[in-house]
Amino acid sequence: MPSGTLHFPTRALRVGLVGGAAALYLAITGVLERFNTREVITDLLDLGDLLILLVMLGAGYLAAGRRKGASDAGIPVLIRGLVAGAATGGVLAAFLLIAKALVDAEVNVREIFISVTPRLLNETLSLGQSTALGALLLLVAGGVLGALAASLQLLSPASRRPLLIGAAVMLFVGLLEGLFAEILDNLRLETGWLYEGEGLTITGAVIVFVVAGAMAVAWARFKGQVRKSVETLPPPQRKRMRTGALVAVILLLALLPQVVGRFNSNVLGTVGLYVLLGLGLNIVVGYAGLLDLGYVAFFAVGAYTTGVLTSPVSFLVTEEGAAAAPSGFTNFWVALPLVVIVAVVIGVLIGAPVLRLRGDYLAIVTLGFGEIIRTLVLSDWLAPFLGGAQGLLRVPAAPPTSLDLRSPERIYYLILAFVLLAAFISYRLADSRVGRAWAAMREDESVAEAMGISVIKYKLLAFAMGAAIGCLGGTFFAAKIGSIFPNSFGLLVSINVLAVIILGGMGSIPGVIVGAFVLVGVPDLLRDVLPPEYRLLVYGAILVAIMIYRPEGLIPNRRRRRELHVEEPEEEQYEPGAPAPEPVIAAGAEGAKSP
Amino acid sequence: MSDREPSVDGDPAAGAGDGPVEAPVLELRNVSTSYGPVRVLEDVTMEVRAGEVVCLLGSNAAGKTTTLRTILGLVRPSKGEVVFSGERIDGLSTPDIVAKGITMVPENRRLFGRMSVRENLEIGAHMREDKEGIQRDVDRVLTLFPRLKERLGQKAGTLSGGEQQMLAIGRALTANPRVLLMDEPSMGLAPILVEQVFSTIKEINEQGTTIFVVEQNANMALSIADRGYVLQTGQIVLSDSAKSLLEDPRTREAYLGELA
Repeated sequence: MPSGTLHFPTRALRVGLVGGAAALYLAITGVLERFNTREVITDLLDLGDLLILLVMLGAGYLAAGRRKGASDAGIPVLIRGLVAGAATGGVLAAFLLIAKALVDAEVNVREIFISVTPRLLNETLSLGQSTALGALLLLVAGGVLGALAASLQLLSPASRRPLLIGAAVMLFVGLLEGLFAEILDNLRLETGWLYEGEGLTITGAVIVFVVAGAMAVAWARFKGQVRKSVETLPPPQRKRMRTGALVAVILLLALLPQVVGRFNSNVLGTVGLYVLLGLGLNIVVGYAGLLDLGYVAFFAVGAYTTGVLTSPVSFLVTEEGAAAAPSGFTNFWVALPLVVIVAVVIGVLIGAPVLRLRGDYLAIVTLGFGEIIRTLVLSDWLAPFLGGAQGLLRVPAAPPTSLDLRSPERIYYLILAFVLLAAFISYRLADSRVGRAWAAMREDESVAEAMGISVIKYKLLAFAMGAAIGCLGGTFFAAKIGSIFPNSFGLLVSINVLAVIILGGMGSIPGVIVGAFVLVGVPDLLRDVLPPEYRLLVYGAILVAIMIYRPEGLIPNRRRRRELHVEEPEEEQYEPGAPAPEPVIAAGAEGAKSP
Repeated sequence: MSDREPSVDGDPAAGAGDGPVEAPVLELRNVSTSYGPVRVLEDVTMEVRAGEVVCLLGSNAAGKTTTLRTILGLVRPSKGEVVFSGERIDGLSTPDIVAKGITMVPENRRLFGRMSVRENLEIGAHMREDKEGIQRDVDRVLTLFPRLKERLGQKAGTLSGGEQQMLAIGRALTANPRVLLMDEPSMGLAPILVEQVFSTIKEINEQGTTIFVVEQNANMALSIADRGYVLQTGQIVLSDSAKSLLEDPRTREAYLGELA
């Protein structure tokens, strides 16, 4: 507690109380109890404890932070942290005492606070001790943790960073036990040293923490040197190195299904599907700037075309033919180019009527097209051909997989191959004459037109390219799932694909890939981490956080980054001799990295 | 309004003393253009001869920009012909017209602000296939505007107003046009910058590009032009050599927007 000569740390107290309110909320709404079932470090730390722990640490850290003109600037950092942490713990302790007293007085607390269970009071909050001792422990633990977090503020960033990274990696490895244990298993490695039950062993936790921290230290120390030596390499060697890195990434992606197991391979396949769709939509939205909210139309066209062409129950197969050999009209490899042709036609058909529309209007009309396609496949009118609400069944898996053996690993490879192809095409397009024309059109359609860019041609080209790639996505979807229902082609698909490219970074190919991993892969990763009812909550919070802290996307493309991190143009200056001002681009990008 | 085109045709002397007198490279013959029911240009006839600087003066809403848009095929004239080096170009698409050798520096610069200076220049050459020719013209622009050379990688939107105008002109020049259309190059620039821009226009003209410039700043435009036209509510009301127009009291009133 502060001595008499110092002011009382009001702000720290306030921060601590807010933290306490948050912790209290977690406790009385039952979140804490719900999360308590999941171990992070076996017998030491479970997810519920971790939440309270993080609140206390956070309160201490924030209270200790330096803020200009804060009233408590003169108070030692550690004391501020201590006060904040203790306040957080104090709120919980007070709650514990009051609730316990009420329960002892036979007041039915749970009439209102349904989640205030005896278990919460007697075990979770009181840490298995008597109520009084438990309350005291909460207070003390809060103070200690608050001071601990505050001490981080005293460290230099260089020493703070490895600690935080180590802790974060440790939690990550602990929480994703399912995934990592499976990987170790598949690599025929021992898991006992790292995991025990659902959580880390204490030794394992320490090892992970130390290794991750050490790597962070090493990277901080040698980062400059590595970068410098790469930069001083002669261009051909640098190019070779880039190619090498690319090959390594592709090899890694190719090996993934071997180590992550069947369930995760399936997830990977879905992620790959969204990467493919994202790459397609990225051409339409990211490159050409045509906001298409009906992208699912192409996805549906691809899936249904594939289904009709390859399913043995398709209307294209006559009954005699079906009796002779139970196969589709044609096989997957013949269907593939046909799908692309159909896609391009549909792309142009959808593109043509909306050529004159821009921005929001275009978005609404494409939204309509998406719904039209879904309604059409659902309709009785087309039911004899497309199966209506019953959908199209028995779509064979893509060769070499047979219908009976729908292997997630194999379809993953197929998708990967086409993702690579689509990524290559996108990459080449971006820096081509076509790519520049799209970029110009995206920025100012009228001027682009006045410069002689045929807006009609390039818009249709963008729609056709996007359609072709989107339809391929549909093809693999059909081959992956095996039966196609109209419900799979709702608005949500369009929105998700759009979210993938916005989250990843508009117009950026690595961005699309990372975006799909985060948007499609993470919910499945969280599946065995969080209680199901909180999974989407946390997922949503992650998305919001990403968009607030990285509005330009996770891996923005160069141009887009400039857009969001550059100051306004400077004042008029025309003196021929004046030196060029600092390139603001670099400054902006730098500032973005360390806010 | 009844005394339109008092002296457009049949006065080769209007080409002023020192101006090169050649066959017109760009002609508008009795052109009328409407936006829906609103008629903007009414029976406009004018010509630009090779090597000239011709200016089109007029107040707001006189139809100056529409004239340029009509030439470039961005709007179709409802009547009349646009002729470029002896060939009718009304009815052609903008890309075809640009490919034939007419480009525009749009009003207010209208750069592609998020693209780099270099990319903006490349966009200008969009209709061309000859790589060496493009490079030559990019080099020419960079010689004309050395400041752009320092900023090739910079985002066009971060340039100052004067630099933006240079880039807008440069972007049009990389198309290697025979006729350069300019829409109010002085707009939004400080007086000193306006002077620089006009001396640049003169320089470009001396290098062999024919220039058709639309302006409100009549003094400035006429000081570099060979000939000029005055447009009012969609009709040509005056046309003469730049020198005579400068002295004509009617012009003095015209560019204030009130012709007696």
